[in-house]
Amino acid sequence: MDKKRLSSLMPAAALVLGTALSGSVLAKGPALEEGHEYMVVANYPNNMHVIDLQSDSLYKSCELPDAFGPGVTQMAPDGKTAYILNNHYEDIYGVNLDNCEVTFHAAMSLQQNERTKAIFSFAISADGKELYAVQNPTMLNRDHYRVQPSRLAVYDTSAGLNAKPVRTFPSPRQVTVMQTGEDGTLYMAGAEIYKVDVKTGDVDVAIPSRSWQRPLYAPPDVLNAWPIQSPSKDFTILYTTAKFQDETYNLDTADWIYGFMNVNLETGETQTTDFGPITEIYFSGILSPKDPNIVYGVLNRLAKYDIEKKELVAAAELDHSYYCIASNHEGSKIYLAGTFNDVAVYDADTLEKLGNIPLPGGDMAISTSQVFIR
Amino acid sequence: MKTTILKPFGGGLLALAVALATQSAQAASEAEKIIQDNCLACHSEQGESQWSRISHQRKTPEGWLMTIARMQVMHGLKISDEDRRTLVKYLADRQGLAPSETEGARYALERRLNTSESFDSQNFTEMCARCHSGARVMLQRRPASEWEHLVHFHLGQWPTTEFQALARDRDWLDLALNKMVPELAETLPMDSAAWEQWQQQAEAPVAGEWTLAGHMPGKGAFNARMSVTSAQGEDEYSLTLTGQYADGSALKGKGQAVVYTGYEWRANVEIDGQVMRQVFALKEGQLSGRMFLRDKDEVGADVVAARDAAGVSHILALQPAYIKAGSEADITIVGSGLSGLPVLGKGVDVIEVISESSSLIKVRARAAGDASGVMTPSVGSTEGGRFAVYDRIASVKVVPEFAVARVGGNGGSTPKVEARFEAEAWAAGADGKSGTADDYRIGMVPATWSVAPFDEVAEADRDVHFSGRMNSATGVFTPAAAGPNPERRMMTNNAGNLKVQATVQDGADTHSAEGQMIVTVQRWNNPPIP
Ligand code: HEC
Ligand code: HEC
Repeated sequence: MDKKRLSSLMPAAALVLGTALSGSVLAKGPALEEGHEYMVVANYPNNMHVIDLQSDSLYKSCELPDAFGPGVTQMAPDGKTAYILNNHYEDIYGVNLDNCEVTFHAAMSLQQNERTKAIFSFAISADGKELYAVQNPTMLNRDHYRVQPSRLAVYDTSAGLNAKPVRTFPSPRQVTVMQTGEDGTLYMAGAEIYKVDVKTGDVDVAIPSRSWQRPLYAPPDVLNAWPIQSPSKDFTILYTTAKFQDETYNLDTADWIYGFMNVNLETGETQTTDFGPITEIYFSGILSPKDPNIVYGVLNRLAKYDIEKKELVAAAELDHSYYCIASNHEGSKIYLAGTFNDVAVYDADTLEKLGNIPLPGGDMAISTSQVFIR
Repeated sequence: MKTTILKPFGGGLLALAVALATQSAQAASEAEKIIQDNCLACHSEQGESQWSRISHQRKTPEGWLMTIARMQVMHGLKISDEDRRTLVKYLADRQGLAPSETEGARYALERRLNTSESFDSQNFTEMCARCHSGARVMLQRRPASEWEHLVHFHLGQWPTTEFQALARDRDWLDLALNKMVPELAETLPMDSAAWEQWQQQAEAPVAGEWTLAGHMPGKGAFNARMSVTSAQGEDEYSLTLTGQYADGSALKGKGQAVVYTGYEWRANVEIDGQVMRQVFALKEGQLSGRMFLRDKDEVGADVVAARDAAGVSHILALQPAYIKAGSEADITIVGSGLSGLPVLGKGVDVIEVISESSSLIKVRARAAGDASGVMTPSVGSTEGGRFAVYDRIASVKVVPEFAVARVGGNGGSTPKVEARFEAEAWAAGADGKSGTADDYRIGMVPATWSVAPFDEVAEADRDVHFSGRMNSATGVFTPAAAGPNPERRMMTNNAGNLKVQATVQDGADTHSAEGQMIVTVQRWNNPPIP
């Protein structure tokens, strides 16, 4: 694996920061059109962009309050409000994309001297009424810090600009991306893929991950910063692992494997599926909305795998790295975002490049892009 | 580091001792006032000269500097540079490490940044030595409660710590609090016999005349005289340095030194308009450590030094430290208090004493055709140093075997970091077989240097072309400029993965050896202890 390239990404991205447009240039822009397909993504210094996926062009840009980062987004089911985790992982904002107004704001630190961050970990209920965040508080005492237990905080999305949790529950630590099922279940990726009853706070394991019992497999490594709301309503989490030849557990002869864990958010069905050998790293992946046997992954290349055959079927060289992948609802186009400030568009079948959508502002860095229909 | 105006200290030995004692009390009360005035907005007093957090850790001067600098950067402490220096001195003296407690971790203070660390505890390696050096931890002593505070500080300050590789595969916080804290409190405890004993130790003399012997990769051996006089502040000295490199070029400079904790010598010496930092430990009348360019610390030399003292004599080094059997060479013996007949070892004749002083003896030597092995030379009744006689080179190693160079410059604030390599020659020993127990090290020998792609990826990416240039004569690799390179695939920067190749000629024999070098991105922050 190409560690060298990985480690060189961040600084390279940082250098491109100088290109930000001043905020005042950005208009509030037109309202979104009912039934149209869009993509939302954020970038430095404080922008949220809406891209029209019919024309693959920038539709409008909204200005965000406070500091940028990490720019994790979640779309409300009505296709109108985009939520974003920002301000150094400490605040969640809801933005009405029709008029760029901030309609929801939760500062996650609940008391004086508490500093609370969510590490990519928030989601919206299927009915749009509740927002869930796993929060990691630290008490900043005068001369020492105390890390507090993680908690699951539930917010009412109609709570306005000073939102406080309506319920809180203890949560496992190390939770990153989360999604909600149609039935209201909250799924969150941590040491395991947990399923949580948001009424009682009861935590169960939906898919074993660190504790998986797959004979001859090493525990998986899971990196997950992009809670992609896929058109196929799949919550897909890539993993890498090693499969040993036999009980001698010899790493030198083991197969290195890519796979994904998946929760079907409509049915609650889960799976753990290997899809190919590790030949390169992908930061994010997505199942094809039109062919459940196809999975895409992206970082330094855009790659397409046949899951059943466990084979790479196509790969496209990229102009630069992209971190976050998305697909239109039809499954005909793949959108690559993150890293710098252009979105690249690829034909989902041939992986032929269709174009670039340049964005005003600086790096998207690790922002999540979300495709939605208004 | 700022330079203060230094006045030589007058008076006899007794006056000096008295003055130091009173100054010490003065300095202490001055430091305590600085703490009262600057730290107690957040820290609390816990009895006489005891403060929360502050009084419950021991560390090196660099360690204390980093902590106080963090108070400034993270917590908004306002403190002048001068007050900070006073505090570092006070805290390092009062809550420092005994010399033995720094052993095995001094490379971090000496900024030998290519050192590959290895620790017995896998927990320690994965939990505490993956973001910074393990030495940073090894150079501290705390009770369990303070190690615990440190864990909470880490995760509280960098919440992604528990999500990173080698953390997200385990219950990081639980492991840190319930495994690492007890392990650290046990192996690196606040209270130790070594520290107890060190504090009882009488102060060792520093002012006086010293002889230095050193070796700098890319430049070679040097020796110098260093004259040290007491200056005004407590444990502060001025110094002058006069010497020469083996190639004849001069080494001349002036500077200031401070001795912390009774043995941690830190000096800045201006040589040819550049500041060289000396990080030495004072032990049994000798200083040893590394001297390096303050602003380019990959350029540095291993140094040993001995102080002139009546009735004491040391041999510090032989330059060069080897001779080929059946040949003649000029050899310099570097030391202090040298007097008497120089003897290099069995089968090596001193055929002429070219020049002679108490610190340098230069001789013409001839090694017999059948001489071989590692000798301990002597001058008069003093033995010391190491001198190798070899008939042929059996093998060569690239030193360091693995190094990191960093791209830089190009308008950015971070300069390039070079990598410097040397070829170390070995002899086969009595059995004539290389790779056996009786092999012995000959020394660093001249070589011809080149780089090659380390693997297929490096080959395909043309790393040799993009990553920098190797000086074929000196073994100094200068990396390329920083920033994305539009000519490279993926617009990546000039990172690379290279084989470092040395070719050494020994008569009709040609030896080659290989090392590895990673050329990578800049170090974005460069703390005193890596
Ligand atoms: C504005 C508040 C503030 C001031 C002023 C302040 N500190 Fe601190 N100090 C803290 C906090 C908060 C911590 C715990 C977090 C940390 O370790 O950075 C701390 C921790 C420490 C620690 C423990 C560090 C460790 O590695 O465990 C030391 C030692 C310390 N301070 C020394 C000092 C000294 C000496 C001063 C005065 C020169 C000072 N502090 C002034 C807030 C302060
Ligand atoms: C996620 C990366 C990371 C890990 C893992 C980590 N450290 Fe650190 N550590 C840091 C950083 C960054 C600092 C620098 C703080 C500063 O600027 O002073 C630091 C500072 C320190 C210091 C110096 C503090 C002082 O002021 O004296 C010590 C000692 C230390 N770490 C010990 C540990 C120990 C023990 C562990 C394992 C339990 C550990 N570190 C694990 C990142 C890490």
